[in-house]
Amino acid sequence: MEAKGIKKNTAIWIIAVLVLFVLSIILGIIMRLNQGGAVHLDPGTFYADMTIHGITMIGIWFVAGMAGVNFIMERYVKTSYRANTFALVMTVIGVVMLWVSTLIGDFHAGWTFLYPLPFKIAWSAWATPMFLWALAVLGVGWLVWVLSLMTALLKKYSISQVFAWQHFRNKNPEVETPPFILISMISLLGVLACLIAAVVLLVLLFAEYYSHGAFVNDALLIKNLTYFFGHTIANEMLYLGLAIIYELFPEISGRPKWKTTWYVAIAWNLTLFFVLLAFFHHLYMDFVQPEGLQIVGQLASYLASLPSAGVTVFSVIVAVYRTKIKWSLSNLLFFIGIAGWVIGGVGAVIDATISNNFLLHNTLWVPAHFHSYNAMGNVLFSLGFFHWFSVEYSKRKGPERLSSLKLSFLLLGGIGFLAAFYVAGAESVPRRYSSYPVEFTSAKLLATLGAVFATVYLIAIFLFVSSIFKRCINMVLHRS
Amino acid sequence: MQYALLLLFLVLAAVIALVFIIVYLSSKKSDDELKGMANPLQKRFWFLLILFVCLGIFALITIPRSPYYLFAKEQPAKVVHVAAGQFFFTMSYKAINPDKPEGEMTIELPANQLVEFRVTSLDVNHGFAIYSPSKQIVAQTQAMPGYVNLLRWKFEEPGTYTVHCLEYCGMAHQVMQTTFTVK
Ligand code: HEM
Ligand SMILES: [Cu+2]
Repeated sequence: MEAKGIKKNTAIWIIAVLVLFVLSIILGIIMRLNQGGAVHLDPGTFYADMTIHGITMIGIWFVAGMAGVNFIMERYVKTSYRANTFALVMTVIGVVMLWVSTLIGDFHAGWTFLYPLPFKIAWSAWATPMFLWALAVLGVGWLVWVLSLMTALLKKYSISQVFAWQHFRNKNPEVETPPFILISMISLLGVLACLIAAVVLLVLLFAEYYSHGAFVNDALLIKNLTYFFGHTIANEMLYLGLAIIYELFPEISGRPKWKTTWYVAIAWNLTLFFVLLAFFHHLYMDFVQPEGLQIVGQLASYLASLPSAGVTVFSVIVAVYRTKIKWSLSNLLFFIGIAGWVIGGVGAVIDATISNNFLLHNTLWVPAHFHSYNAMGNVLFSLGFFHWFSVEYSKRKGPERLSSLKLSFLLLGGIGFLAAFYVAGAESVPRRYSSYPVEFTSAKLLATLGAVFATVYLIAIFLFVSSIFKRCINMVLHRS
Repeated sequence: MQYALLLLFLVLAAVIALVFIIVYLSSKKSDDELKGMANPLQKRFWFLLILFVCLGIFALITIPRSPYYLFAKEQPAKVVHVAAGQFFFTMSYKAINPDKPEGEMTIELPANQLVEFRVTSLDVNHGFAIYSPSKQIVAQTQAMPGYVNLLRWKFEEPGTYTVHCLEYCGMAHQVMQTTFTVK
């Protein structure tokens, strides 16, 4: 019964994510059109659009990763249907509150709502508390979900087993930890850490808001907390996607299951640690931040990407190289997604180098690299899972049509959209500008090109999503 | 410098893309079911080691060039105080009173001599990014309320420099700018 419930919930998660994804892409295209001068939004409206685009995208790909991990985890342990449903309800409430506060209340402090901007109210006065309470609602729903999944794992595996420590020394330990379990646990723990930071952050912000200025926060401390939360959640959601890939890539390809080895165990344990320190790179240009932390930021940014990316890429490459495998849309999406993720990672490592950040910080280079590993990385991981799930568990099976057309559109649109960001970043065009001062001669043209390519990307997404969407709707409507 | 970084990125991205394409095609061509590893998660220590060494070298070269260490031992020839606010920059050779921020009409700075900017904010976080006459960022720091960031720089090229705000600060963020000249 419960397993069926989780399956149905997963279908609902997928439907919600896909609807919000399409809407958010449209908001993204509108932003690019406005920056290119084809559309003229009031700046406040543009920034409200930017805020809701950013927070929705982060939110949906996080829950997409969580829903996928939860579903696969059922293969190993019993997970809680109630926690999953609770998170679903809280997410829906939270998202509605976010959309109301930005699109109706005109709240536009950016998805990172960097203190003290949310309190310099230039929108409906109720929109600030509504936005912050929406985050609190999401935070509670997700905390419960994360804790319940961690508990489920710890009921079956001991602490050392769940982190695969027995693999450090022993080549063939008695209890094997599947890579999926290891990576899920590492990601869940990271998510837990950043959700706790979010709670502290919200408490501090509420304290100032409700004390009417009697309590005043420290801007540097809040900035550290904000990015510990924001950076970490954006990273961990990728790892959730990777956990699914370690499980499904060999399976879909018709190859033997992947097994944890000592170096995989060490790599992921190191990642857990370093990823929590990498957020310091968001504060490189705050010269008052202690220098030691800046250096830690650069080293941790390198070290966080090295083991997890190195191991994953290498594993996927050797798994595929000269090996006859069953290619399908799902593992092709995983494969392309990993390439997109690594290429975005190169852009990130360049920017995470302090002396380069001096020139690239808050230029369009930043959206360039994070859209690379999201729009062409993590999104494809999740779409691969969605596709696999919807085909595997629906009664409507049919041959997959138009695959190569869909993929070419996706690649063409995605690469063009990203290229416009990278080039503009190298030309020092600032990020988060509703329109560009005339001195930035190429910025408008690049923005328009970005909008055109993003539309091609949207068409590809439409083609992918419609069949997945139909199958999932069917699954929800028909008791199976 | 920015274009060099773009080039570096494009080369690496192309190499990665090529590797993925070659690997994919090799799989498509393969007709032997038995080839391929039973467990691809086997140790590939040397691969990580190479990556590790490359990044280590990159860190060793770049960290000493971080802005915190630039001209740290020299005395600035000129000091400029900067107070950022929604949505303006006030710049002055004298300290700025936060309650009554007043700045100079024009700021002129000497070429090839050390200038120190003392940057703070009167309200929310802002950015202080200096664009060369050819519209490339040459240096930047943040303007944070309650803190003063010290940015040191030597301008080589004379001309008009523009300062843009690079931290999102609200409705008119995109028009927040000022200029100074280097002679
Ligand atoms: C083709 C699809 C997409 C389009 C057209 C698009 C477009 C945009 C644009 C134009 C911006 C503002 C850039 C600027 O600073 O000037 C932006 C920001 C952002 N996007 Fe996207 N985007 C897309 C997909 C995604 C995806 C998949 C994610 C997933 C995480 C995402 C997350 C974000 C975030 C977090 C921001 C920052 C918002 C902020 O600065 O507050 N986007 N996007
Ligand atoms: Cu600004």
